[in-house]
Amino acid sequence: MIYYLSLPLFLLFLIVLQSSISDVLLFGVVGVEISMILVLYAGLHLDVIKGGILSFVAGFFLDCVSGSVSGLHAFTYVSLFLVSMMTSMRISLDKTSLIMIFTLIFALLKGIIITILYSLIYRIDLSVNILRLYIPQILVVTLISPVFFHIFYRMDVLLQGGHAKQLKRT
Amino acid sequence: MLFHKKHQTIIIACILLVISLIVLSYSVKQPSEAGLFRKMVLEMAAPLVSAINIPINEVGTVWKRYLFLVGLEEENRLLKKESAMLSNELLQYREGYLEGIRLQKLLKLKENLNYQSIAARVIAKSQTTLIKTILIDKGTADGLKIGLPVVAEKGVAGRIIESSWHSSRVLLLIDESSKIDASLQEGRNQGILQGGGAGVCNLKYIPKTETVKVGDVVISSGLSGVFPKGLFMGVVTIAGKNEPGLFQKVQVVPYVDFAKLEELMVLLPDKDNRK
Repeated sequence: MIYYLSLPLFLLFLIVLQSSISDVLLFGVVGVEISMILVLYAGLHLDVIKGGILSFVAGFFLDCVSGSVSGLHAFTYVSLFLVSMMTSMRISLDKTSLIMIFTLIFALLKGIIITILYSLIYRIDLSVNILRLYIPQILVVTLISPVFFHIFYRMDVLLQGGHAKQLKRT
Repeated sequence: MLFHKKHQTIIIACILLVISLIVLSYSVKQPSEAGLFRKMVLEMAAPLVSAINIPINEVGTVWKRYLFLVGLEEENRLLKKESAMLSNELLQYREGYLEGIRLQKLLKLKENLNYQSIAARVIAKSQTTLIKTILIDKGTADGLKIGLPVVAEKGVAGRIIESSWHSSRVLLLIDESSKIDASLQEGRNQGILQGGGAGVCNLKYIPKTETVKVGDVVISSGLSGVFPKGLFMGVVTIAGKNEPGLFQKVQVVPYVDFAKLEELMVLLPDKDNRK
């Protein structure tokens, strides 16, 4: 229950924080999407209800804070979470390099999904701009992902009373 | 029960995807309605942004100071401290002076328009990827509503796309989904000024038969009734007829420097003009 009560507050704080970091410290040039790393972590470590709700709420909050149409990031995050969850049945990410490759692939996937949805909604072809728009952001997210995977793991341990569960899904 | 357990994951996954798709399609069909949840999130986010920006700004300042002051002698540091205090004081006066000038310019702009206006302060910017918006500190409680034009001292900044009670989001001129009726000041050719993403806009639907020169000024045409006629929007930087099709490519750089926006003015039509 504590999880579900604290989740919205934590996610709102996280999303506002990542926007502020991007605006103030990186001069708004590169987005630091920590929320996406959290969604990927949830896909690997949380069950479908907890992780699914987390992904949906994080996406919805990001839509609200970034000003995009409601559901754009919510749908993208839920999709990423589900793909990440399905992937977690086959691989184990115990090395930093693997986490980075995993994040890189999913960040690219996210960029593609967002571009497709954005093109469908606003009828604007952004395919020529996709590299310029997303490559810096993807690189930043890839580089910081191991650190945040570790932080989220520690928080997971703290919330679950001493041991983080690596849920086995069959 | 066995069925339920076996397929629980798939069912929940499908439900989540369907819910998010419903939210997305509803928002696309009803773009003007910011739902209650969205308003609440925006309302909670606005003060949180201000609160979080204080320590982050401090960290930024400390980081910059560290970069500049590392390695200096103690005496030098003391002198710098004293100088910094005085500079800070001077900066405050200067800041007030500059703010006064900016507000004066906004006020002059207001006097020239047949609109009422509400001054607002920028509290957050979101200009990283696709969406280029800013958050201002006035909302429906101050009389703002969706669609109202927003101007800066140098010209058009954008329009309000969502409002909560005490904050509103402004879609900037440079956002790719922003489309505003505009015309060239010299030739009076009319077109649509659409955001081009990286700090520029494109003036669309200008026929190749018309002459457009680099340096031509683009103003609001006032056709859609959202923006008053004659507001400065930008200046033409590229005008080319090499593109295939009937229209020429006209790239425009906005007058407003969106990275430095601090105060804005939201225009409300005069009571006589209101529907």
